[in-house]
Amino acid sequence: MSRNAGSDVKAAYLFIAPAMLGFFVFVGYPLVRSFYLALTKYNGLTDPVFVGLGNFRRLFTTDPAFWPALRATGYLVVLYVPLSLILGLALAMFCNQRFAGVRVVRTLAYLPVVLPAVATITLWKFMLDPQVGLLNTILDRLGLPTSLWLQGSGTSMPSVVLVMLWGVGGTMIIFLAALQSVPTELYEAARVDGASPWSVFFRITLPMISPIVLLQVILQTTAALQTFNQPKILTNGGPGFSTNVLMLSIYNNGFPTLGRIPQLGYASAQVWVLFVIIIAVIALTAKFSSLWTYSDTSD
Amino acid sequence: MTLPTDAAEATALTAGTEPVTRPAPKKPRLIGTTSWYVVAIFICAVMIVPLLWMITIGLKSRTAVFDIPPKLLPHEWTWSNFVNGPKAIRFPRLFLNSMIITALSVLGGVLTAMMAGYALARLRFPGRKVWFYLFVGSMLLPGVVGLIPLFQLYKSIGWYDTWLPLIVPAFLGGNPLFIFLARQYFLAIPYSIDEAAKIDGAGHLRIFVSVMLPLTRPAWLTMAILAFQASWNDYLNPLVYLYSSGKWPLSVGMASFVSPFAGKTPDWSYYMATNLLYMLPPLIIFFAAQRYFIQGLGALGSTNQK
Repeated sequence: MSRNAGSDVKAAYLFIAPAMLGFFVFVGYPLVRSFYLALTKYNGLTDPVFVGLGNFRRLFTTDPAFWPALRATGYLVVLYVPLSLILGLALAMFCNQRFAGVRVVRTLAYLPVVLPAVATITLWKFMLDPQVGLLNTILDRLGLPTSLWLQGSGTSMPSVVLVMLWGVGGTMIIFLAALQSVPTELYEAARVDGASPWSVFFRITLPMISPIVLLQVILQTTAALQTFNQPKILTNGGPGFSTNVLMLSIYNNGFPTLGRIPQLGYASAQVWVLFVIIIAVIALTAKFSSLWTYSDTSD
Repeated sequence: MTLPTDAAEATALTAGTEPVTRPAPKKPRLIGTTSWYVVAIFICAVMIVPLLWMITIGLKSRTAVFDIPPKLLPHEWTWSNFVNGPKAIRFPRLFLNSMIITALSVLGGVLTAMMAGYALARLRFPGRKVWFYLFVGSMLLPGVVGLIPLFQLYKSIGWYDTWLPLIVPAFLGGNPLFIFLARQYFLAIPYSIDEAAKIDGAGHLRIFVSVMLPLTRPAWLTMAILAFQASWNDYLNPLVYLYSSGKWPLSVGMASFVSPFAGKTPDWSYYMATNLLYMLPPLIIFFAAQRYFIQGLGALGSTNQK
């Protein structure tokens, strides 16, 4: 190749300079800085005071809200992630068929994903109102038991998850793309062999899309661990601490309202607890992925 | 669960390879088709009924919203909610705020990602691979890590309560996913094209603007749509960075509408009417550009497939 290498390099750095600068400012700097802040007492006005692991000690031993926050976050993840994957895959398989109107179903299923979170979450907040909400009205007319939904401490988190699941079209669209990349010869061969629907699903479909399933497990889990909008708008953490997830706790410690003093160091320590959990989830999922994702050598 | 057989059946039928087997499955298929449509209608209803409910609330009078038991349709249609609701949150102002913030974020995010993608895919420079992996790797970094340090950083340089924290990051490569998508797209363009342009005496800027940008239209349109969604729908960042209500975008304004501040019950009919207006821009874009959504995300699914 007879290119002018010198001008290429200069041009390359000019083209990529904004993104490089962005990387240092938005990835490098926050990583270092938030780790340092996690080890300090800091109100955002006076200088940070180094306290070592003091914040973490306080989190795990004396803070009455931290364990409930961890518990709520865990509950949300355990409830949301499997349901979103199963529903998303089922919906994708349904929408992968050919029948008149399949495009309408696909479009409508994806629609909630493009709508603003604030708009849809507040809409659901009203639909879940125990007295005048649509859900209880429908249940009542069908003669079914109604629920307190967001206002009951036992039903609040499942209700939050219900609202999140309305956006399952996001998962569906990724699975749909994966399903469409599975070679149709495999299905034809299975049909010739007279394979049952279940064995076609478990021996062809699932293994062929397993890399995408793995990716979705990681992405959905890390996203679910950082859920903020739904609990913030629907319940603001209540009733009690039932939906006070870690992100909400971080937000309330770092950016408090009504003149309370921000505890940025303490909030940073919580950020790092969340960060370590996310890294651990990614590492564990990736480590055990070889057990169940498809590779050419397995049978 | 009969989905896989039906899938195989559907492909076999449309391929038309085995006309002999057609008559046999006819009867069970008829029953199958009916239940199929029951499921399809159920899915559509779950997605659309909340939105219809929103519109009927937006048309009810302010007190009718609290009727027990609630009525499905308004008995007096209150169209004025579409005027008075927006007035109550100074909708035109917040709409304009949202528009300015979103337009600039889209411009910055798409432009700088395309530039970086061009450099990574088509130019040779030391550290090319390393930067690619750094960008891809940073996609996994949870956003929460930046929350507090960046808040402090912006505050210390006087950007708190301005739009700059919502706009400037977009001009610094904003979304690493976009850089990744841009690079993938640039890799697929034949190199002979820019060789030819170079022989004609074009510099890199010229090649990028007049050759590459027209060729990569689907890529940057997809990104622009996704960037629009992200910025228009963003709630946490404006909530953290903007204090003055006059600077709020619609997301924060709409949320404040229904927050139970000072124990006041929100005006749900006002709210739902305004909510529809807030949803309108993304809705219009979605229906106008459906294929870009499916294409862009489809590309994402298949590139990760490897």
